[in-house]
Amino acid sequence: MDDELLELQRQFEFAQQAKSSIRLSERNVVELVQKLQHLQIIDFELLHTVSGKEYITLDQLRNEMVAEVKRQGRVSLIDLADATGVDLYYVEKQAQSVISEYRELMLTQGEIMSESYWDSIAEEINERLQECSQIALTELAAQLNVGLDLVASVLEPRLGTIVKGRLEGGQLYTPAYVARVGAMVRGAARGTTVPTNLTVVWSSLQQLLQEIDGTSGLAVEGSFFQSLFNGLVKEGEVLGSLRAGVHWTPAVFVIAQREFVESFFSQNSFVTYEALHKLGIPQPIQFLQSRYPEGKPLVTTFVHPSMIDMLDAATEDALDRGSWSDSLSLLPSSFTPQDASKMLSLCQSVQNALKSNKAHIFGDFYVLSSSFIKDICDRIVKELETLGVSVSAGYTMHGEVQVPSEAKVGHESSRLNESIEMASDGGANRQADKGSRKKKGKATGNTVVNPSESGAENQEPTLSKSKRGQKRGKDTSAQTSDSKMGSRKESVKMKEENLSPSEEWIMQKITALVSDFEEQGVDDPEIILRPLANQLRPTIINSWMEKKKALHTNNAERMKQLLDNLQKKLDESFLNMQLYEKALELFEDDQSTSVVLHRHLLRTVAAPMVDLLLHNLEEHNKLKNGLDVQEASDSESVSLCPADRTAISKSFPGALAKKAFAVVESLEGKSVESFMAAFRMVTEESGLPLKKLDKKLERTLLHSYRKELTSHVSAETDPVSLLAKVVSLLYIQVYHKALQAPGRAISVAISHLKDKLDESAFKILTDYQTATVTLLTLLAASPGDEEHCASDRILSKRELLESQMLELKSLVLSTSQSS
Amino acid sequence: MEGWDPNTKSTLTQIPLLTTKAGPRDGAAWTQRLKEEYKALIAYTQMNKSNDNDWFRISAANPEGTRWTGKCWYVYNLLKYEFDLQFDIPVTYPSTAPELELPQLDGKTQKMYRGGKICLTVHFKPLWAKNCPRFGIAHALCLGLAPWLAAEVPILVDSGMIKHKDDATTSTES
Repeated sequence: MDDELLELQRQFEFAQQAKSSIRLSERNVVELVQKLQHLQIIDFELLHTVSGKEYITLDQLRNEMVAEVKRQGRVSLIDLADATGVDLYYVEKQAQSVISEYRELMLTQGEIMSESYWDSIAEEINERLQECSQIALTELAAQLNVGLDLVASVLEPRLGTIVKGRLEGGQLYTPAYVARVGAMVRGAARGTTVPTNLTVVWSSLQQLLQEIDGTSGLAVEGSFFQSLFNGLVKEGEVLGSLRAGVHWTPAVFVIAQREFVESFFSQNSFVTYEALHKLGIPQPIQFLQSRYPEGKPLVTTFVHPSMIDMLDAATEDALDRGSWSDSLSLLPSSFTPQDASKMLSLCQSVQNALKSNKAHIFGDFYVLSSSFIKDICDRIVKELETLGVSVSAGYTMHGEVQVPSEAKVGHESSRLNESIEMASDGGANRQADKGSRKKKGKATGNTVVNPSESGAENQEPTLSKSKRGQKRGKDTSAQTSDSKMGSRKESVKMKEENLSPSEEWIMQKITALVSDFEEQGVDDPEIILRPLANQLRPTIINSWMEKKKALHTNNAERMKQLLDNLQKKLDESFLNMQLYEKALELFEDDQSTSVVLHRHLLRTVAAPMVDLLLHNLEEHNKLKNGLDVQEASDSESVSLCPADRTAISKSFPGALAKKAFAVVESLEGKSVESFMAAFRMVTEESGLPLKKLDKKLERTLLHSYRKELTSHVSAETDPVSLLAKVVSLLYIQVYHKALQAPGRAISVAISHLKDKLDESAFKILTDYQTATVTLLTLLAASPGDEEHCASDRILSKRELLESQMLELKSLVLSTSQSS
Repeated sequence: MEGWDPNTKSTLTQIPLLTTKAGPRDGAAWTQRLKEEYKALIAYTQMNKSNDNDWFRISAANPEGTRWTGKCWYVYNLLKYEFDLQFDIPVTYPSTAPELELPQLDGKTQKMYRGGKICLTVHFKPLWAKNCPRFGIAHALCLGLAPWLAAEVPILVDSGMIKHKDDATTSTES
């Protein structure tokens, strides 16, 4: 038998004999422990681990926790729970007891930290601080992942021991750094001479620091500067006052400010708020009032009462003189219109005048006396009248309306200006050029310097003056170019508006009348002119309307009178014309004589008739247009040439013009009938019905004509003209027709009488006629020279004729009596 | 290896494997084989003990080591049922597995051949053949007897075919 085999057998035996290990299931163990607890054998608290496989006593847990904290210095409870394998709840609970037990531990935000940990951290911080010379606590807190307060509270006890530095506004600094920044702050504070917002200074210092430190330099908090600065102020190293923590007003500035205000106000007796604002005084009114209780605050300026007195005196003077004053120009240039208005309200005399209605204030600061306004008003009304005439005169002469009216107006205004120049006493050097009536115009380059303006202390007198000069220069150049155009337009416009004065027109008139407005630098005429014009307009319009009305009634009467006269005259002459026309029928068979007679009739009778008609119609037209026409003293004596006639006829409105023209045409023709027709149409058109010749009227007319002729003939002494009249009279006696015959037609006319008269009578007539003809030919042959023989013969012929005159007269007169 | 519960499988893999292929008639080779059998059995027994799973005692009944006798037991309902165990090493061993016998249970269950030889599962034989000659007595016990006991004892106890010796005594006494 193999030993080895035996040995193995023994071993197997032994292995089988060996006691087998006992195994308990977890369940059994749990039950066992529960049993033990139940039996009070385990009388202390027992905890499970998270895995549920282990029991742990509280003491053990505490020990483990402390050991962990000591090992790591800083452990979060969550990590502890992981490390011990116990639920976080128990760890937290035990942490409290651990903290209370061990004084060097602290629990913050779920973390347990030991003092030694903080010591080491503080050492680290110190090292870094010495390197960088400053560290922000926030940075540290972020790095350590703890609260800012904690870092501060931990670092504070270690400052000066472990950490060699200074804690300021959440920053750690080394003493050297603090000293350097302190020096910077002191320098900056001492360097400031005007009120400054300290934050601005600090930001610039910050920039400076960053430049010095380069990119490594951390941003320094403004509060650090501020605390350093506060320290300096407290120590009295810098002087001044601090408002709201950041507004630093250096003492030196306050002193300078007061001195400036003091000197300016005492010198100029006013000071603008703006100037004070520039000096940094935030509430100028209160500041000034507390300092100068006697001064008056205006809208933008603070004035001394003496200033008000000055204005008061000047304005009162102007009012007394019945003139006007521009308060603004009396005041320094820094005064605004509102200021001037307020000052006026403070002026005693002005207020009195306003109350008693002796003065008016326009545009805030122009004071005008009532008498001045009244004067202007009167002048404008006067101007309006003259202008009205001139314009109406221009209106009738169609083509040339604009030029003459403009010229007239210009003349008018310049004349008026001159008169004003004489009358008004203000203004030292006047502009020679007054012609321009532009409303915006400031005349040409104005050299008049307001005496009050130059007298008063101006804050920037040279500047404002030069500016004004420039402006003026520009205006003149612009204005001269369009002044003509403007006036032309204006005259046209005026016509269109039917002569009722507009506001603009009044404004222009005022500027033209009162050139002071322009000269004294009224920058914007609207300010004063418009309200003034507004005020004046109703009165002006009223007076204008009255005038116009009066003119109209006057014209109406005259028109009526004119028409009546015309009618009467026309009737008379037209009837005559008709009468004469009838006589022409006798000569119808004789062509040449007929033409001559027609012509004669048109020339002698029709032409004056037409002239009369045209002249009267024209006058009537004018009156109808509301124009004042000079009384035409002798309308009878009007005689026009054909060109005049056409011109007048063309001036008539519409259809009347055409018909009148036709009449004028027919006047040049040879036919009386056509003339009659045309003439009748004209009269009908112009509302003058003409009477027609009837038998009865004809007879009376003939009778009167005959009577007239008879008396003429009996009174006639000139042998030549006697013949024509005798022939005419004979024709009435024989044919009962009124004949108007020229000398050439007399012989024909006589021959027509041949078979109607007695032999002897006819003979007398023909003799007389031949004698007259010879006389006339003799006269014609020797017109100027006094030749003996010729004059003798003329004389003898005349004597012959004179001797026969009686026969001839008796021939006519006897027949007239017999018939 | 399917067909066995995970416990059995893990245990089986931990039993050292044998190397010598020899039967009882091979003389010195058999001795060598026997040594290996012992080593495996020692390891298996120690393993069982450490796992608190000791369930048999066997020893060689003859010096050749071809017959083994002992006891095996199973705990069911907190009662320990113990049975005699015997088996011979067949001549063709290790190609043929030894036939384990529980003579006390002969005729009490169908999963048994005449003479108390236990019926093994269908999986046993192929596995054994595949692992010849690496499997030995320990493997046969682990793969064959342990599952059989775990399967059959509760049935036999519940059906009342076997009774605990205490009950038996009490019942006989009473």
